[in-house]
Amino acid sequence: MTTTTQTAPLVRATGVTKKFGSGDKEMVALSGLNLEVREGEFLSLLGPSGCGKSTALNIMGGLLSATEGSITFGGKTLTEPSRQIGMMFQQAVMFPWRTTLDNVLLPVEIFGESKKKYRAKAEELLSMVGISEFAGSYPWQLSGGMQQRAALCRVLLHDPKLLLLDEPFGALDEFTRETMNQELLRLQAHTKSTAVLVTHNITEAVFMSDRVAVMSARPGRLIGILEIPFDRPRTPDLQTTSDFVALVAEARKMLELQ
Amino acid sequence: MTTLAPASTTTAKVKQQRPDRDTKGAGWIALITIAVFLLLWQFIPQTGLINRVLFPTFTDTLAGFVQLVSGGYWWEDLGKTMMAVAIAWPIGVAFGFSMGVILGTSPFIRQAITPYAIAVQALPKVVLAPLLIGWLGFGSESKIALAVIICFFPVWIDTMVGLALPAANEFKLMQSLKATRRQIFLKLQLPSAIPMIMVGVKHSLLLAFTGVLVAEILSASDGGLGKLAKEFASQLNMPLTYSVVGIVVILAVALVSIADVIERRVVFWSEESRARKR
Ligand SMILES: Nc1ncnc2c1ncn2[C@@H]1O[C@H](COP(=O)(O)OP(=O)(O)OP(=O)(O)O)[C@@H](O)[C@H]1O
Ligand SMILES: [Mg+2]
Repeated sequence: MTTTTQTAPLVRATGVTKKFGSGDKEMVALSGLNLEVREGEFLSLLGPSGCGKSTALNIMGGLLSATEGSITFGGKTLTEPSRQIGMMFQQAVMFPWRTTLDNVLLPVEIFGESKKKYRAKAEELLSMVGISEFAGSYPWQLSGGMQQRAALCRVLLHDPKLLLLDEPFGALDEFTRETMNQELLRLQAHTKSTAVLVTHNITEAVFMSDRVAVMSARPGRLIGILEIPFDRPRTPDLQTTSDFVALVAEARKMLELQ
Repeated sequence: MTTLAPASTTTAKVKQQRPDRDTKGAGWIALITIAVFLLLWQFIPQTGLINRVLFPTFTDTLAGFVQLVSGGYWWEDLGKTMMAVAIAWPIGVAFGFSMGVILGTSPFIRQAITPYAIAVQALPKVVLAPLLIGWLGFGSESKIALAVIICFFPVWIDTMVGLALPAANEFKLMQSLKATRRQIFLKLQLPSAIPMIMVGVKHSLLLAFTGVLVAEILSASDGGLGKLAKEFASQLNMPLTYSVVGIVVILAVALVSIADVIERRVVFWSEESRARKR
């Protein structure tokens, strides 16, 4: 964690502003966001609903263009989606006419690569998240949590450098969410990828991240960045330590003061 | 791993266990209704309350049916009708599908054509029959043309609507993978649209049948079941007229049943995906 500051950032957002609509109906969803995402780190975007977290993430993923400012990814200006970036959404977004395995293989199919080559890897990922016996089942035969596990496998399949996760487990119950978060941390460490997680859950943000970027609502703005110095791998008991509680309180204070 | 879910097209939300009981009850009710209906059909014409020539009894009709089927000369008419349907329906489906794809993937063309589409939809297309007969003659061409014109519309609309069904997130996923427009169409939009398209295709089958029969009734020279019914009716041979109508009903039910089975095989996921999309 101490050396990461030395390496060049994987993503750099410079003065990113996003406005929706025009004229009277113009609204600023995101205002002058300056943010660096370091190679290999786990960063959370924390903020109240409607503060522009998803907007910021979609811009970083090249799905939306910024009204002002720019994004660089791996040193180059980002103008369109990249296959080095994997995105996950609040819904699993599984196609019901494909089996779980075929859903996981969708990215390589779209990249025009041989599905055979990736099949073993897809199966390995499925068994790592504990749903290998559902590889041949259809998504609608899986629970919501199982579907998100499959979505996690899909995003990891082609080893993207950067994971952009928009409340990926937000629709799941508390218990499933905690295990999914654990799994995510484990797989992120395993694949040595960089992750940006959008959340409005303070504890979750602090537990998961190396740094938490706290945002304020209307217009969406970065308030500050909180460094989370705990060692990895992290276990759930970390959440009861006084250091952890203090960091959560600090994040809450930043959100309330804005 | 329970597989093929029953994809009933009408009642979307009924869960799996309930229909078993309901269909058993419904089966009995249907049987009783049919029995009562046949009894009334048999005895009311005999009472003299209604004209027995125009409304023959069930057994008279059955005798006519046997006479017709054993006579053999109607096979040619049956063949002509089914042949016309077999030609018109695929043409209508192909045309409707192409229109649906063009309009469903190009907002510009859609905006340009929508007003005309609405006008065409509002038109009772049977009115074109005399025009088509004038242009194409009394043969099978005008018959097929009318059937095509009547049957392509639902496929067109259902394809267009179906292609717009995927949720914003599904498009976002595809975009984040840098899928080409072609890939988005083939791997997302088209499969999403298939349940809807199948409904249109089934609907168009019956409309093609209707179109062919109407054309046959209007212009008798090419033959077909429509012509047969018209001729028997003009001879006041009601048992035979009824028999032809009965055959048409049986054919229609059979065609729809086959289409239903195919639909269930093709869109095995449809029930769940519909539930998922509220
Ligand atoms: N396509 C759009 N058109 C118009 N306004 C939009 C659009 N997308 C987002 N907005 C607006 O921009 C603001 C920020 O939206 P965004 O989805 O980024 O918030 P968020 O922080 O992700 O919220 P949540 O936590 O509820 O997901 C909101 O006020 C929203 O109404
Ligand atoms: Mg959001």
